[in-house]
Amino acid sequence: MASIDIKNVRKDFGPVSVLKGVDLAIASGEFAVLVGPSGCGKSTLLRLIAGLEDASSGEIHIGGRRVDDLPPRDRDIAMVFQSYALYPHMNVRDNMGYSLRLKRTPQARIAEIVGRAGAKLGLEALGERKPRELSGGQRQRVAMGRAIVRNPKAFLFDEPLSNLDARMREQMRFEIRKLHRDLGATSVYVTHDQIEAMTMADRIVAMNAGIIQQVGTPLELYDDPANVFVAGFIGSPAMNFLTGEARRGETGVALSVGGKAFCTLPQAVAVPEDGRVTIGIRPERIRIGVGAGQAVEAAADLVETTGAASVVHVDLAGQAMKIFTTERLQLSQGQRIPLAIEAKDVCLFDPAGGGRLR
Amino acid sequence: MSATVSLPTGSRARRRLLMFEPYLYSAPALLLVAATTLIPIVIGISYAFRNIMLLDPTSGDFVGLDNFRELLRDASFWNALKNTVVWTASCVGFQFLFGLILALMLNRPFPGRALIQATIFLPWAIPTFLVGMNWSWLLNPAIGPLPHWAYALGLMNAPDNILSDPDYALWGPIFAGIWWGTPFFAITLLAALQSIPREIYEAAEIDGAGGLERFRSITLPFLAPTMVITVLLRTIWVANSPELIVVMTKGGPADASQIVASYVFTQAYQGLNFGYASAVATALVLLLLVYAFLLIAIRQTMLGRR
Ligand SMILES: Nc1ncnc2c1ncn2[C@@H]1O[C@H](COP(=O)(O)OP(=O)(O)OP(=O)(O)O)[C@@H](O)[C@H]1O
Ligand SMILES: [Mg+2]
Repeated sequence: MASIDIKNVRKDFGPVSVLKGVDLAIASGEFAVLVGPSGCGKSTLLRLIAGLEDASSGEIHIGGRRVDDLPPRDRDIAMVFQSYALYPHMNVRDNMGYSLRLKRTPQARIAEIVGRAGAKLGLEALGERKPRELSGGQRQRVAMGRAIVRNPKAFLFDEPLSNLDARMREQMRFEIRKLHRDLGATSVYVTHDQIEAMTMADRIVAMNAGIIQQVGTPLELYDDPANVFVAGFIGSPAMNFLTGEARRGETGVALSVGGKAFCTLPQAVAVPEDGRVTIGIRPERIRIGVGAGQAVEAAADLVETTGAASVVHVDLAGQAMKIFTTERLQLSQGQRIPLAIEAKDVCLFDPAGGGRLR
Repeated sequence: MSATVSLPTGSRARRRLLMFEPYLYSAPALLLVAATTLIPIVIGISYAFRNIMLLDPTSGDFVGLDNFRELLRDASFWNALKNTVVWTASCVGFQFLFGLILALMLNRPFPGRALIQATIFLPWAIPTFLVGMNWSWLLNPAIGPLPHWAYALGLMNAPDNILSDPDYALWGPIFAGIWWGTPFFAITLLAALQSIPREIYEAAEIDGAGGLERFRSITLPFLAPTMVITVLLRTIWVANSPELIVVMTKGGPADASQIVASYVFTQAYQGLNFGYASAVATALVLLLLVYAFLLIAIRQTMLGRR
């Protein structure tokens, strides 16, 4: 178990700058999830921590020790790859015991450690099988077993579940969390799936275009996003963004969309000079019906239902918006519905930089 | 379906016809193969049991195993057999070794790799005949530099032509063969190397495997099937290829650099003794068959273990 500290790390591939100055501190025993869209540099950051790639500048510390110049095997970390990267010509037991064999651990001791890891992952019956004789989920488990067996300071996961079907993914998500609870080892988990990030993380690190956008607990990112990117990336269905106007008045900051009043925020909120803002509101925070605040009228467009809940697509002064509701509604196209919006659920963003206006 | 149930006798005839169906379909192909491959082989082997001298119209009698008895007493044949082993083992061995080294070097990126790769694969595109000519000139002290260089380095006592030295003549064609055949191994091994997923190396690196250990436990097992099949094919190919020897030494001086394949050629087209040449060729085929079965068996057990 160890902390991981990343200080102003940059990584360039030739002329392409992939990581543009990353600072990140992961506490000992923490389960941190790196999340972001494809190509934002998550894997690159993970590979830098593992030592599979060298940073262009900056420092990486694991357990207080600077590891920039150490080869991967001396960093005492274990990595689970998206493709699992099992050794195809070795059976399950040899795959898991390979690192111990290289450390010249006695045979009996290897058998014991591998046996224990196998039991934890439900692999006892598969010891003699080759990777090609396993299902995707079983391969995934072997890859995890190989990591556990090393008893490393930190686990690194690079999208380990993305090759599994939805149900298997759900189960493995749960199992990885349980495993982390049992072992308590520092873990860095890369995914582009925000649901995985939300459900698994102690802390989420949201990245975009090689820059860390926000670090915080899942609910911090969900309730209090630092910018448009985080607000839009976390949460499903995604947050609604409306182009609107903010005008400071007697009672507070009045927001309007397409000239119609939307909601009034407290005076404290910052507003740009020209009054143009991006209004963000989560689909599940919008209530259909007349509430305590101002009622906003929208036109229903389409209802999608999953059974448990529905997503209502509406048109508000020419801008599309989604509403998430557990009520079962019968709406016809074009039907006008009143929406209740509360000031505390509204996030304001600067349309120019995408930063949060507070 | 209902017709076959109601007519049991008809269905039996039909079933018998169905049994022959696959053979009927493949018959044209089989006939073609028999006509173009099997029949010439049988006729060729039948020469080994006859006395066929091309310029002697009275020859052609059936002589039983006479040709083979003569073969067993023929010192030139035994020498050629020994040379075949030396020739094949050195050619294939060094071609494989250099090809593997080249493939490993070309498998990692470095500036100018594409150009070097193209240059290295060039010898493979040159006809063997030209390769042989080229190397005989290189080894000829009158026009080529190699003997002088070897002399200057102290490798030779005098800048002589090794092609005319009975003790070393075979090594001339061997050098040429290595130079010519190395790209074949480089190409096939490089293709196999490039099919190994990078992440497996990375996993091993994290697991603590050094460079040599990664080569032993990942590269070798991945390459093994390719290695076995290419070595098997090349061995038969090289053992059967007399061109370089015929061009460079004509098997000489005094049969010193003869391999079995070139000995067949010499017997047939210089001695014009087709019967005897055919007996020598048959012996070569038998030896190579034994070799091929051995290697296929090894490959099967290797695949079984994977
Ligand atoms: N070896 C490399 N050479 C050049 N560019 C690279 C290299 N590795 C990664 N990149 C580039 O760096 C960027 C980030 O890659 P990275 O693999 O870290 O993305 P990612 O966030 O893991 O995406 P994904 O979710 O698709 O896995 C990409 O634009 C990629 O093209
Ligand atoms: Mg990635």
